[in-house]
Amino acid sequence: MSEDRSFEVLREIARTATDLGPALAPAGHEELLRSITEAAKDIFEAAACSLALLDDAQEELTFYVASGAGAEDVIGMRVPVGQGIAGWVVASGQPIEIADVTRDPRFARDVAESTGYVPRAILAMPLETDRAMLGVIEVLDRREDGGSGARDMELLALFARQAALAIENSRVFSDLGRALFDAVSRATDGDFGVALEQVAREGSGPNPELAELAAHFNYLGRMGPEERLAATRLVGELVAYMRARARPG
Amino acid sequence: MSKPAWSWQFDPDTLKRGTSLALPSPLSKEWAWGGSTGAGVKVAIVDSGIDSGHPAVGPVEGGVVLEFDPDAEDYVKAVEGPHEDLFGHGTACAAIIKQTAPECELYSVRVLGTRLTGKGVVFAAGLRWAMDHGMQVVNLSLSTGKQDYFGLFHEIADEAYFNNVMLVSAVNNVQSPSYPSQYSSVFSVAAHDGKDPYRFDYNPSPPVEFGAPGIDVEVAWLNGSTIEATGNSFAAPHIAGLVAKILGKHPGLTPFQMKTILCALADNNAAPEDV
Repeated sequence: MSEDRSFEVLREIARTATDLGPALAPAGHEELLRSITEAAKDIFEAAACSLALLDDAQEELTFYVASGAGAEDVIGMRVPVGQGIAGWVVASGQPIEIADVTRDPRFARDVAESTGYVPRAILAMPLETDRAMLGVIEVLDRREDGGSGARDMELLALFARQAALAIENSRVFSDLGRALFDAVSRATDGDFGVALEQVAREGSGPNPELAELAAHFNYLGRMGPEERLAATRLVGELVAYMRARARPG
Repeated sequence: MSKPAWSWQFDPDTLKRGTSLALPSPLSKEWAWGGSTGAGVKVAIVDSGIDSGHPAVGPVEGGVVLEFDPDAEDYVKAVEGPHEDLFGHGTACAAIIKQTAPECELYSVRVLGTRLTGKGVVFAAGLRWAMDHGMQVVNLSLSTGKQDYFGLFHEIADEAYFNNVMLVSAVNNVQSPSYPSQYSSVFSVAAHDGKDPYRFDYNPSPPVEFGAPGIDVEVAWLNGSTIEATGNSFAAPHIAGLVAKILGKHPGLTPFQMKTILCALADNNAAPEDV
């Protein structure tokens, strides 16, 4: 295959990947999140476990995955941030456990609306990293043999931390991948760097800043070893400075 | 003779007398809060609102709803006046505080709203509102682990400390810093395994300084109900209530004096006859 033809094929693949990106990207996500809810449900011997993520506007939580009772009903359900237990947890950043939600009928109805099932007990934990609040994980009706609420909360916090970091990594990776695919599909004259700059300028991709960063790296890659070394040190210093600034000591 | 900056404050003609605190030894709970109802102490609950109709809460003296608004000054819209509790949590905190300080004056600062955008500036505005309106105790059962808010919250927590505002903050649940509970200027609280609202512990290995009831506790909720709940966010108002009770009897205490008293009275530190 000629070089021109190879590039044309690559561009076709990239164009298709860009178009399909939004549909494909969450698939990996979903699998990961489902394994987290499955594991949490089993460990706590719970009736159900569900996980909801914040939308870009930070106004709604959408239940992406759930395992156990009511799982089918809850997936895809949207809950406003200003309402219900999931809303309070992401807004306050605090976990909460309520032993018997049925004692407040209005509250029980609200909970049922956001869980697809009427639980007695609910344990809800924010999914948060040092950089952002991402959503909430809820465990409904844990085993009844007197498991300590406080200990379970600590355990679920570890799960939530892992889940949040995994979600964040997966998002950065898929955003970067989409920015790169977008650029390849636009590289009409074969100049990938120029295409990346175009993606960044138009701000049309999922993350224009990532495209801009990729464009800089593409340009740096074509320079000499001394320039690359200088740039690496500069970026290293910047990252170190930002880490220190974000949390002194 | 030139003097370094700030030294003028210590000139004999300028220096004012501060709050003296003649502490008995050993300190006792009776000395600290015996006979006090928290009357005359203003307590703000920065949360989801307060249901003043709940029998365990009683009157709410005032309050404000703060919401993120990109067109408003400092990006926060403030609506003063009565408002409902969106969730139940603020009502729970109010009732916990009233258990030990039944006559303190409650104010509701509702910062939890319809979206998360601008959460940091809204929280910050809530704390500023409390300081501007003469609150002496602020209960904050909220926290954030987002590093971007480190500086903003640190500045406000220091401002509260220097203005003798007792900022009582629930720590969150993860093994990483959360703000503002991480700062030494606040009273940071986690749940311990007890139910008695007059018993609490002092942790000699901070940043979490105080332990108070918050595991399987009966708390007030919406529609006049009560529920059984667990969370550090229920421990913080237990300490806020006792701080209000102590301030009712010893007005003008500074946060470091208050911490000294709480540390001495903590059940893991107190003299055996006072436990």
